[in-house]
Amino acid sequence: MPKVQHVAPSEVRKSGKLKLQDIPLNQYQKTVKDEKDNYSQEDFVRIYRDMVIIREFETMLNLIKTTGQYNDIEYNYPGPAHLSLGQEASAVGQAFLLDTNDYIFGSHRSHGEILAKGLSAIEKLEEDELTDIMKTFFDGTILKAVEGSQEGADVKALAQDFLIYGALAEIFGRQTGFNRGLGGSMHAFFTPFGIYPNNAIVGGSATIAMGSALYKRVNQKPGLVIANIGDGSMGCGPVWEALNMGSMQQIRTLWEEGFNGGLPLIFNFFNNFYGMGGQTAGETMGYEILARVGAGVNPDQMHTERVDGYNPLAVIDAIRRKQAIIEENNGPVLMDTMTYRFSGHSPSDASTYRSKEEIEEWEQADAIDSYRAQLIDAKIADESELDGIVETVGETITRLYKLAIDDKVSPRVNLDENPGAIGDLMFSNEKIEKMEDRECDVLMPKEDNPRVKQIARRTRAAVEDGKPVPKNRQYQLRDGIFEAVFDKFYVDPTLIAYGEDNRDWGGAFAVYRGLTEALPYHRFFNTPISEAAIVGSAVGYAMSGGRVIAELMYCDFLGRSGDEVFNQLAKWQSMSAGVLKMPVVLRVSVGSKYGAQHSQDWTSLCTHVPGLKVVFPTTPYDAKGLMNSALAGTDPVIFFESQRIYDIGENFHLDGVPEDYYEIPIGDPDVKREGKDVTILSVGATLYRALEAADMLEEKHGLTAEVIDARTLVPFNYEKVLESVKKTGRIVLTSDACERGSHLKDMAQTISELAFDYLDAPPVVIGARNWITPAHELEKYFFPQPEWILDAIHERILPLKDHTPTANFTKNEQIRLNKYGI
Amino acid sequence: MATPVIMPKQGQSVETCIITEWHKQKGDTVQKGDLLFSYETDKASFEEEAPVDGTLLETFFAEDDDVPVLTNVCVIGEEGENTDEFRPDGSAAPAETPAEEPEEAPSAESAAAAAAAEPAATEAPAATAETTDTGRIKISPRARALADKSSADYRFAQPTGPDGRIIERDIVALLENGPMITAAAKDAVDGRGADALPEGSGIGGRITTDDLSQPAAAASEAPQMAAPEDKPAYEDVKLSNMRKTIAKAMHQSLASTAQLTMHSSFDATDVLAYRQGIKAKREALGLANININDIVLYAVSRTLLDYRDLNAHFLDTSMRLFNVVNLGIAVDTERGLMVPTLFNADRKSLNQISQEARVLYEGCQSGSISPDYLTGGTFTITNLGTLDVEYFTPVLNPPQTGILGVNTIVQKAKEVDGEMTFYPSMGLSLTIDHRAVDGAPAARFLKALKQNLENFTVLLAK
Repeated sequence: MPKVQHVAPSEVRKSGKLKLQDIPLNQYQKTVKDEKDNYSQEDFVRIYRDMVIIREFETMLNLIKTTGQYNDIEYNYPGPAHLSLGQEASAVGQAFLLDTNDYIFGSHRSHGEILAKGLSAIEKLEEDELTDIMKTFFDGTILKAVEGSQEGADVKALAQDFLIYGALAEIFGRQTGFNRGLGGSMHAFFTPFGIYPNNAIVGGSATIAMGSALYKRVNQKPGLVIANIGDGSMGCGPVWEALNMGSMQQIRTLWEEGFNGGLPLIFNFFNNFYGMGGQTAGETMGYEILARVGAGVNPDQMHTERVDGYNPLAVIDAIRRKQAIIEENNGPVLMDTMTYRFSGHSPSDASTYRSKEEIEEWEQADAIDSYRAQLIDAKIADESELDGIVETVGETITRLYKLAIDDKVSPRVNLDENPGAIGDLMFSNEKIEKMEDRECDVLMPKEDNPRVKQIARRTRAAVEDGKPVPKNRQYQLRDGIFEAVFDKFYVDPTLIAYGEDNRDWGGAFAVYRGLTEALPYHRFFNTPISEAAIVGSAVGYAMSGGRVIAELMYCDFLGRSGDEVFNQLAKWQSMSAGVLKMPVVLRVSVGSKYGAQHSQDWTSLCTHVPGLKVVFPTTPYDAKGLMNSALAGTDPVIFFESQRIYDIGENFHLDGVPEDYYEIPIGDPDVKREGKDVTILSVGATLYRALEAADMLEEKHGLTAEVIDARTLVPFNYEKVLESVKKTGRIVLTSDACERGSHLKDMAQTISELAFDYLDAPPVVIGARNWITPAHELEKYFFPQPEWILDAIHERILPLKDHTPTANFTKNEQIRLNKYGI
Repeated sequence: MATPVIMPKQGQSVETCIITEWHKQKGDTVQKGDLLFSYETDKASFEEEAPVDGTLLETFFAEDDDVPVLTNVCVIGEEGENTDEFRPDGSAAPAETPAEEPEEAPSAESAAAAAAAEPAATEAPAATAETTDTGRIKISPRARALADKSSADYRFAQPTGPDGRIIERDIVALLENGPMITAAAKDAVDGRGADALPEGSGIGGRITTDDLSQPAAAASEAPQMAAPEDKPAYEDVKLSNMRKTIAKAMHQSLASTAQLTMHSSFDATDVLAYRQGIKAKREALGLANININDIVLYAVSRTLLDYRDLNAHFLDTSMRLFNVVNLGIAVDTERGLMVPTLFNADRKSLNQISQEARVLYEGCQSGSISPDYLTGGTFTITNLGTLDVEYFTPVLNPPQTGILGVNTIVQKAKEVDGEMTFYPSMGLSLTIDHRAVDGAPAARFLKALKQNLENFTVLLAK
């Protein structure tokens, strides 16, 4: 809501017409002969060779999947093979002009794009650069597998082997693959050649590529970014979010000189007319022609056009023109790169949804055949020369195929010898103060910041000289988060933060007040209400080399970014076998008072998915220390905050929250109060209700409770909790998450196993009811209350004398509730 | 208004008492001061009188029941008054038994079965752990771990957790209040209830396999064999509580200490002369009837402090050396051996010692002695001399380290100036715990005692 931009009724109420420009469809109709002067002979032949390589590569996989052999060499490959037979020209055409600074992000059907982009990169890289890449990547593991298999190979030929073998070994799940076999067919990639993750979630690359483009723009890196996604992905919400957020006008209108303009981003739809079996044009979509969609996104119509992907020269031409648009800061662009796959969606596809005639017609129009005919027609090469290429490619693929299925040359990750080989990759656990070493773009010295001045007037503990400090004079939890974030903005130049209502408003809960004054737009901005794009772009930004804080205004909106959090943010570090880092802090605010869709604690959803660190601080001291840790690390951290306690003061570190930098290790629970009779382990804002319960236990029953704040859910060091349980023999766990499926159940189970002989009763979980969250006035019937903790202790653990329960924690009630799913 | 009669608390350490006899039956009219029932602790027996006039409306316990002190034993009041509120377990009166008698007398077998089933049916006051349908006892892992570690048999714990679960505090209570069973004996318990367990004779009162292999009370009451026409070959007489205590104590003493007995004797001429002198003048001087035993008590009390290892408690890892002499005096009573304590004997005159010893003796004989006088001894003296015993091996009263047996007087000959003369010789048998004291120092004590007794009038002057 920048005040500089005025929404004038006189303007917006004006009568008129919005005119769209024409959308070009297959305007390029040239052949090799027409372009003879513009390409070298080698280029023309290389285009052919690259298409043949892809064709042979995919044919090999198709044969393995359908006949169990290739060139009479048997192999059983049970994994996926989404082949792009028929689509070779579009991939090779796209890659022709790109260099390693240009990033492509792909889909489940991207073998062809990997090979095309890799071959193009090999062509452009100097030999010593290539050698260096091959020797250093995984300490030369891939190089060693192919070295010496081809007599007299020069560096480029070796690099081609390296590329084809690296991709194939990855598909076959070999340790010598590009991602140690941990990505596989649908996720293979190789960043040194500018090949970024391919994605098994349809359209998954749209938001990520947009984030990568954001990285290039904010950090002024060369090159462009292409999201290679299919026509089927046009049905996915996150793709639309990415189109919109990638086109948001502020980048041109509000961002500072040098950073403003359109993103260097191409949304390239490889449009093969089918999303699996659904016919996109005519059946499942409304666009009729995909290129139409771009026309509605921004005033530039995203420079949308349809390109004939069956003509490699048409695609090269299109990319050349789009590169120019992007260089002029007029991105992003949308390409409807029309193509066709002969093969099914996958080998199990019986093509029941299309006619035999249709496939045959496309085979007759085969891009490789027609391009070959053009080469001969234009006298670029003769039949025997081209046959020679086909033969050589066949031999190369066969040779590399043999290597890739040889268990000696291409072993799998050995989980017998090294059981932690995959587990150790779930987190990178590095500490990197700044992702790049340069000046930070800021607008003022720290000390001039109005928020800093405000905080300086506050008392950094809730109690001073034994007296409680008035609420509005206390240093609050939101101040703790602010200080950590603010400090980092002055240390890490790549750090950016964004989300809904972050700038100007200062965040819906005033955590970011003061950042607007301190930071230029390109480091701190508002996003559209597009949670998928917010998180997905953060993933792309981080994997490209930056650090980012993204924000979900309410935890309840997590579902809107489900794929981006659970499949993208969580997985890319490990699926890349440690090649990628993911320094993303996702701030998630847990609400209350606002009913069923604004009051949910969904920590358990995040803890369930491997690869995410999950923290939930409850004090200013912990919030600052944990945010510092999160921002110093290289792992994705879901940083939960509770709206109940943004204004809470520091009640535990009465010396005051340190002004200096300090870190609290992620994974370390904290004993907030010592006791000996029962342990209460709390997650989130329930800490303060647990402390109330502890007071009641002491006053009414003479029992002292040890109250432990989990602070972190993943990772979690159980030692302190076990130590406590060994002492008390009793534990209740409580949080505001609905009780069924709560992460507390997981913790309770773990404690049961690890401290079984010390337990005087089973651990008891006290969560919120398995209901909708009711109105604020009724919340005491929904969220855990101090009395409930006593009730649960009384009913399940240790009968309390003269205790009258307020809530029903009997076994019969538990059975009944489960029976009815409540 | 009905008046309940409680089981009095006889001394600090007493928690339960056993009713030995009812002198009145339910429905009897009683007058204030009438004997209601007799009862005993493991160390003494007592009698309870009716506090008011009225009818004995209800008795809550039978003879031989072990009743927690301060618990209502019976109720006296007007006929027809409700006594439920005084019921110790707070429960309503048991349902009336069916009026109809079974037509046939129960066979011996079913009677025994009924007898065995009875404790369960009437919910004995010492309820044991609640079991599940399958007979599993509900117990928390923590409580089980504590029970295992401390060798407590959790089957006898009183559950206070949710759903009748035994929790940690119940094992703690079990450890404090028993019953405790040795690990070896656990399997031999055979599902007996807490009430059916014998007294423990093991360490710390733990019930041992030996205890359990004794015929259980119920078994001994099993169908009697047909009595032969003349007298039976034997009778099984149930041990009194006190007998059990003595048995346990004696066995434990011999089983757990290293006892060594040495004998000596002294010339009692001086002592006898002194006693004669007292006897003649005691009425005029207002002295007690001081006897030889009192004189030995006195001499021991004055000798012992020079031999502190014998005026001590042996506590396995330490010795408790006393600065006072509390003399245990073995007293033979109808119910068995009792050992009252004469406190601070070293600070009392011979006359005081004599007077107090008599009070203690009489208290034991009548059973009215406070249990507080039955503990606290630092050394014990036992006298079988009056029964003409010449030598014996007294059994230690652990943790005391010594016990002196006093024997009868015999005439012995000795050579004086070349001539044989006779003198009265009194035997002394000292048993020591060799773990605490070696033989030679013990012998030195005995020698010093002998000298003090042979020169008793000199000792008195000290």
